[in-house]
Amino acid sequence: MRTIVLTSLFFFAHAIQSFAFCGFYVAKADAKLFNKTSQVIIARDGTQVAITMSSDFEGDVKDFAMVVPVAEVLQRNQIRIAKQSIFDILDAYSGPRLVEYYDANPCQKVYYNKSTAMEFAAAPTEDVEMEMMMEEAKDDGVTILETYTIGEYDILILSAEESSGLERWLTKNGYKIPEKAASVLEPYIKSDMKFFVVKVNLENFQSQGLENLRPIQMTFRSEKFMLPIRLGMANANGDQDMIVYSFSQKGRIESTNYRTLEIPSNLEIPLAIQPKFGLFYKSLFNKAWADAGKNALMLEYAWDLSSRNYVKCDPCVGTPPQYADLREAGVFWVNNQRTAGSNYTGDVFLTRLHVRYNRKTFPQDLMFQITPNRENFQGRYIMRHPAEGDLSCSAGQNYLQTLHDRRVQEVKNLAQLTDWSIAEYQGYIREYDKKMKNGNSPYLQPLPKNKNNGKGGYFFLFGPGSQGPLFWALIVLSLFSIILTGILIRRRQRNFQLS
Amino acid sequence: MSSLSPILLRVPKIHLLKDARHFQIIYLGGFLLYGIFALGWQANLAAYFTLISISLFTQFIFLKTHKLSMHGLKSAMITALGLCLLCKSSELWVLGLAAFIAISSKFLIRYKDSHLFNPANIGIIAAILVTGKAWVSPGQWGSDVVLLFMMGAAAFIVLLKVGRIDTSLGFLFSFGGLIFIEQVIYKGWPLDHFFHSMSSGTLLLFTFFMITDPKTTPRAPKARIIWALIIGVFTYILSSWFYTFDAPIWALIIVSPLTVFLNKKYGGKRFHWIKQPSISYNK
Repeated sequence: MRTIVLTSLFFFAHAIQSFAFCGFYVAKADAKLFNKTSQVIIARDGTQVAITMSSDFEGDVKDFAMVVPVAEVLQRNQIRIAKQSIFDILDAYSGPRLVEYYDANPCQKVYYNKSTAMEFAAAPTEDVEMEMMMEEAKDDGVTILETYTIGEYDILILSAEESSGLERWLTKNGYKIPEKAASVLEPYIKSDMKFFVVKVNLENFQSQGLENLRPIQMTFRSEKFMLPIRLGMANANGDQDMIVYSFSQKGRIESTNYRTLEIPSNLEIPLAIQPKFGLFYKSLFNKAWADAGKNALMLEYAWDLSSRNYVKCDPCVGTPPQYADLREAGVFWVNNQRTAGSNYTGDVFLTRLHVRYNRKTFPQDLMFQITPNRENFQGRYIMRHPAEGDLSCSAGQNYLQTLHDRRVQEVKNLAQLTDWSIAEYQGYIREYDKKMKNGNSPYLQPLPKNKNNGKGGYFFLFGPGSQGPLFWALIVLSLFSIILTGILIRRRQRNFQLS
Repeated sequence: MSSLSPILLRVPKIHLLKDARHFQIIYLGGFLLYGIFALGWQANLAAYFTLISISLFTQFIFLKTHKLSMHGLKSAMITALGLCLLCKSSELWVLGLAAFIAISSKFLIRYKDSHLFNPANIGIIAAILVTGKAWVSPGQWGSDVVLLFMMGAAAFIVLLKVGRIDTSLGFLFSFGGLIFIEQVIYKGWPLDHFFHSMSSGTLLLFTFFMITDPKTTPRAPKARIIWALIIGVFTYILSSWFYTFDAPIWALIIVSPLTVFLNKKYGGKRFHWIKQPSISYNK
């Protein structure tokens, strides 16, 4: 039996990669960090769209199958196999990053320390005769519109009259589909969508000596800018992660039926986070998503990659995509004429969204719009190495005090961004206090309480994502008091007029 | 204490409860604060400042030149807050233009004795069409139940004051009804799919605070209901057939001129924010 993966997208995390890069950037959190992470690239201009889906399928390839609702009957030349490497390039380029800076010693005039390179390990049958299939299909109200074999995939494009017929046909043809699948298929049939059904052609898979399934790319026209996630929820329990890389000419993409939030960024964090930056980012994402009510999309990266923009990243975590990469990713509107800063010509804007969805908080498919917003954004976390050497001069002593205060803030940031215990960072805060001359270590700053749900500092009332009862009480109280004051003033005025 | 009385007497008459615009300003301001602090909007204070100051300034100039009461500034504040909540742009001049067009449309695009378009509505549309650098973020509110409840409750108070609840209900009935028929009855989506469509904060803001503008809605209750039903149908067509994500504001701008004909046919009294002694604008 072939297990059907009723989804537009996929799958399961496994291997954890390690990286080594020079420069200011020291560590990054990549897409593979999250369980059940699927990746998809969407290049859209006007109504034309190219969608590339990464199949990170684990298990025996003969068990692989997937169903994607599509807007039109795709022709053979609208489907191709893309290189898996394009996902790696985009992931490496746009992932959240840890950057480091070195403090200058205020007691020495020239201070130089080269940044270190650092290695970082961060923590988803039987063949049936075609004619027979066609006959059977008719009985179930299913029409096989096209059949293609492309690379290692056998592709069918189906239309169906009713979901129970489609369900029957799929079951008959060796696809094991989830129980509730029919009710999820129905709305797509009623929306006059076709079904793109993919399974692995084992002969081709073996003859080509492939180890993993390669991404499938399709190009079509659609007024609707959407990703069907509902189908994938039929056979999945719990949360699924998806990274969406989107290319447009105009600017950022955002969801029109869910909130799109920027991931907390540009904050200083303790030095000790470096070896576990991957875990740090995972925890940060979990918390940001939960704080947002578990129904928002997170913006992880947005950058103007247009040929006229010289700064393709700052700092660069991976090589910015070149002409061949962009075309591989389906960006059909760029030309390969060299320009000053790039080997292509054209306006390109990349948006990386991290979506964690489940049946409960994501009742609708993801709808998107392209906005004219061209502001760059990146998930960037900063660590600062303290100055070394003699700090006994008065500027140095002042520096030690600011260092202490900064480290208090770094630990506060850590507590706000993650759910981690900050008890072990007490020593980190006081590490340089001993260099203070008069031995009087500065007063310890109050540490934020652990697990304060991110409503950080003294302004917990208004922290990001805070929708606590206090906030509401304040709003309601202020409204009441304004109305009450109004009534009182009116009464006063009336009384005075009467007297 | 008696020394206080002259001061209190000199306090200008505050029509806090009489003028529904005070409620609107408080509530719209409240939603903006909610968006910034609770929903994590990227609060761009310069953008809000631009929208509010340009709106107020434009209104001030027109009020001066037309020799009108400065109470009109409250209307400009409502328009400005409406723009803060709906209109987005990364460039300040685009927002300034939106605010300017919004307010000046009230004085320049008129038929007989009232303006034709909802100012915030035309401001957003003009900014989108003219510059191509403005947009609306329908997803920015999420579908938080508490927010929706607050919005509805706040709207109820304002609408009772203004007497335009029929418009909101007419719109919700036609748009919601058509969406329900399409999504739940025809396509077979579960109910939460439908509720997700209807509980968008942007949709409710539009329903309760934009199409209820007493100045640009038809004057007779019957006419208002017809008008609201038509907007609902247009919104449905634009969103479901043409996949327009900001359908309501486009539907409103298309249907707005109809007000003139509905007013001619059904008549009705002209609305005044503060009760006028006995001046009748009716023929």
